[in-house]
Amino acid sequence: MTKLIGQRIKRNEDPRLLTGQALFVDDVNIPGMLHAAFLRSDYAHAYLRSIEVSAALNRPGVVAVITAQDMGDEWQPGPPLVSPPPTVKGVIFNSRTQVPLARDKVRHVGEPIALVIAENRYIAEDAVEDIDVDLDPIEAVVDLETALDRSAPLVHADLDSNLAAHLVQHRGDYAAARSEADLVIKRKIVIDRGAAAAMENRGIVADWDAKSEHLTVWDTTQAPIPIRNGLAQRLGLSVGQVRVIAPFMGGGFGPKMMMFYPEELLIPWVSMKLGRPVKWIEDRRENFYATTQERVQVHEAEMALNKHGRVLGVSHNFLHDSGAYDPYGLTIPLNTQSHVLGAYDIPNYYSDLKVVFTNKTLTTPIRGAGRPQGIFVVERLLDIAAKELGIDPVEIRMRNFIPPEAFPYEREIIDQAFAPLILDSGNYKPVLEKAAAMIGYERFVRDEGPRLRAEGRHVGIGIVTFIETTGVGPYEGARVTVEASGKIRVATGVGTQGQGHFTSFAQIVAEQLGVGIEDVHLVTGDTSDFHWGTGTFASRGAVVAGNAIYASTQVVREKILKLASKVLEAPEEELEIEAGQVRVADIPSLSISLGELALLANPLRGAVQPGTEPGLEATAYFGPQYGAAAFGVHAMILEVDPETMMVEIKRYVVVEDCGTILNPMILEGQIHGGVAMGIGNAYFEKLIYDENGQLLNASLADYLIPSAGEVPRIEVGHEETRSPLNPLGTKGAGEAGTIPVPALFAQALENALADLDIEILEMPLSPNRLFEILQKKEKEK
Amino acid sequence: MSDLHDVAVTVNGKKYHHAVEPRLLLSDFLRHDLRLTGTHVGCEHGVCGACTVLFDGQPVRSCLMFAIQANGHEIITVEGLGTREKLHPLQEAFWEAHGLQCGFCTPGILLTVVPFLESHPDPDENEIRQAISGNLCRCTGYQNIVDAIKLASEKMKT
Amino acid sequence: MKLEGEYTFDGPQAEVWKLIRDPEVLSTALPGTQSLEQVSENEYQGDMNLRIGPVAGVFSGKIIVSDEVPPESCRLTVEGKGKPGFVNGTGDVQLIAQDDGKTLMKYAGEVQIGGRLASVGQRLIDTASKSIISQGLDTLNRALQARVAAQVTGKEVEYTPPSESEFAASVAKDMAAGAFSASRMVWIGIAILIIVLIVVLVFISRGGN
Repeated sequence: MTKLIGQRIKRNEDPRLLTGQALFVDDVNIPGMLHAAFLRSDYAHAYLRSIEVSAALNRPGVVAVITAQDMGDEWQPGPPLVSPPPTVKGVIFNSRTQVPLARDKVRHVGEPIALVIAENRYIAEDAVEDIDVDLDPIEAVVDLETALDRSAPLVHADLDSNLAAHLVQHRGDYAAARSEADLVIKRKIVIDRGAAAAMENRGIVADWDAKSEHLTVWDTTQAPIPIRNGLAQRLGLSVGQVRVIAPFMGGGFGPKMMMFYPEELLIPWVSMKLGRPVKWIEDRRENFYATTQERVQVHEAEMALNKHGRVLGVSHNFLHDSGAYDPYGLTIPLNTQSHVLGAYDIPNYYSDLKVVFTNKTLTTPIRGAGRPQGIFVVERLLDIAAKELGIDPVEIRMRNFIPPEAFPYEREIIDQAFAPLILDSGNYKPVLEKAAAMIGYERFVRDEGPRLRAEGRHVGIGIVTFIETTGVGPYEGARVTVEASGKIRVATGVGTQGQGHFTSFAQIVAEQLGVGIEDVHLVTGDTSDFHWGTGTFASRGAVVAGNAIYASTQVVREKILKLASKVLEAPEEELEIEAGQVRVADIPSLSISLGELALLANPLRGAVQPGTEPGLEATAYFGPQYGAAAFGVHAMILEVDPETMMVEIKRYVVVEDCGTILNPMILEGQIHGGVAMGIGNAYFEKLIYDENGQLLNASLADYLIPSAGEVPRIEVGHEETRSPLNPLGTKGAGEAGTIPVPALFAQALENALADLDIEILEMPLSPNRLFEILQKKEKEK
Repeated sequence: MSDLHDVAVTVNGKKYHHAVEPRLLLSDFLRHDLRLTGTHVGCEHGVCGACTVLFDGQPVRSCLMFAIQANGHEIITVEGLGTREKLHPLQEAFWEAHGLQCGFCTPGILLTVVPFLESHPDPDENEIRQAISGNLCRCTGYQNIVDAIKLASEKMKT
Repeated sequence: MKLEGEYTFDGPQAEVWKLIRDPEVLSTALPGTQSLEQVSENEYQGDMNLRIGPVAGVFSGKIIVSDEVPPESCRLTVEGKGKPGFVNGTGDVQLIAQDDGKTLMKYAGEVQIGGRLASVGQRLIDTASKSIISQGLDTLNRALQARVAAQVTGKEVEYTPPSESEFAASVAKDMAAGAFSASRMVWIGIAILIIVLIVVLVFISRGGN
């Protein structure tokens, strides 16, 4: 069997992408297609008094203007997507989901108020400006910490307060641990908002064909199957009448998950009403207002340690900003809760979570999804403790790691899957040792750092660790078919946004079936090809879909060998599959091609024997028992320019253990991109809201995503601790690059500015903000 | 409705005559009127570089130009570089070096780099990073893009 | 957003007060004003059409004047709405007579901006507002000097206000020299627009009463 899993193999999808031949949603063009534009709220919080649309309707080229009133009984809030955890006692969860068009009140800037359909986008946008809307502003809930005050205005007037959820989780007895501790570190840690800012904005094309009673939707979604299911339900159709296609996508990073954005319902709905195809493409400013965001949390965290640096317990009360609605449940803060213990064996834990409604854009997972916040908290507290105790940062981490023999390791809390959090496997120490060796940690601390500091330079080193729970259920499936051409067709339900699924999944199939990578034709994200599954998120594609593909390929392989054994009159054990041929190992001339076998398996005459299925095809599913926990270490050396406060990253090292590697080239690409986003999260990207809930930097000119000048070369090392939970032994890696970067930045900055003795307890920073922190420190002195 | 104006433009060697509104953006003209959808639009305000095309050989942001400005000029889009069967050496290098993930920003980067490599046949890493600093990519962290451009410069020398 | 500043007029307090109550002078000082109507004793409505650089838009504004103490001070409440967004604000204006016959104007206000106007970034608005306010006040000051001179000579002194494009060009020049010359920003004009609006509405309101 030619080994393909684990090889650097060029991607199948690239020639299409490189020549401009890949289909993105905005490339869909249907004769007679109309174009949509939205009127959105300029206010964060206001009563909607009246809307006057006649001027818009009278504009030549305008076909329809839709308001909430026009939807009648079909106006309904969106479905809750992730319900609250049923397994935790005393949980409070107030479900308030987004509405298609605001009816009596707007709750965040950018909330849609009216939908205009016109012959082209230019006319539609003109007509949006013709609409006269009377909004009567009320005080906006913006600040997370005062949102729960009795005097705060209410985002949802039918609730007693702005509390969206409350949940307490604990393990052991933190109070007892604290009373025995030699050292207690207590800090307030604040993380602010950021955007996913995928290069492609969202877009939807819907085409209702009245004669065939069939709806086709092209959608920039990471989860086409749940969107198909939801649309069918909301539009009164059978799932067989709805086809959702997630074509090539210009990045997802979380917000393109199964959100049921208002537009996602409205565009198909209006296509059915008008009997015409309708396209809506989000513009960049809408993307900043109307596409979900993440990261805002305020933490009051405490760590109790003994004098040897062993952590006895962590206590953690935090506020999570849900924005105006909470369709995505508690996924983000549950991830924070389950990552605040990092990679460490911490026996006592107490965590109190309050989720808060505010008059800001909704928050749902973005690459990292609550984990960067959790890791930031634990790594910061450890760094501060290490300093207090005079222990080296690397050493204190070594002392607290979960030892390899303790796996599977039970955290005794529940995670985002509402199941007990169990870390399946890991061997952390060698990963940290490797990273420390790669960056030259000891040499830097001993010689280089002191020498550079003596020269008056502000150069610092950082090294942090993280875990990532990946590959959560419930399940994915795949169908693998050998076609008469000898090519293999693979269909799976997950969408793809650049992760290289066309290649890594093909590697799994090609290795088992003895064909070339280019002979595997993969279809993802088209509900007409495969319609069971959930989607691409939570670093689960390679784990859950990958193993489903592996399982169905195994069945197909068995079918191939069984049929070939009959045809070639040789026992199955003596057969091998190579280069698209099944042959008898000792007699290579005795062979038959996969294509011929496929024909024989689907005969036009004769009979298929009872109890067998036609064709060389199999469908199989994989649902992991629980998620697989990846681990990694990031290290860097950076220099701060004391004049400009700009940082130059001189070295950046990542050592990653995500189990079996399917394609190291693709994995490293995922890590590079993740780190780049993490650098943005740490030092460049912050969504700035004013006290009225206005977003002040809603353009890529003001919201700075890192460019080629800001992202350093990244050196990647690997360890492979196979997950015992799936046959391939894979763990997810899609978010790993992003998770520890803010924590790493904080440690390295403190080290670079050691003479100034600052503490970094917030993210994101910026040159400006670092300057302010230093100024404040100066004043204190 | 505004008056229509004639635009005669050569795109990827092919001549087109269209009547367009004066406010029609060049990016929309290429994508929707000419159906050359390889040119992507990421920000509509000249920051991200995804819509970069060659205008008389120079890289321009097609979202910041009107179609009528292209009257009498020559444009090259990603569709004019190479085909799936016969890739341009720069496209080949991006494939080999894994210089793309979602591929959305890639056409703009390719067209920024084509004239850059003509003026810098042997660029170093700093020059490459500067050359693409006006093109945003959210997937790759740029490293493999830099490597791909370096690889392309070697391919194009031989 | 807070707007705050001072300006010295080369003329006496009473003349400055009169001047800024004259809608005609004001509409020429900041071109683009289309209409100005008094809808009740202390309430005015105005429309203005602005074209600065690439940005054009019609704004409708409502102004309420209160706490008026002629010729010293008043409070203004402004509600403006236009295609690129909205502006709501209150401001206090004070005129203080100086020993040398000049008049010091102090203004301080709190302005809420929303929609596309807000999203282009606070840092631009700061730079733009300084420039536009000083340009507008300079123009008014020239009108004041012309009036004062006319009183002395008993003859009309010719005063030519800047055209819309001259005004915009001056502001753009100041902006280009400002801190963000290297920024990626393209929509500078929008920021300028908002500031012009604020200033115009403030002046219109005081002129109309």
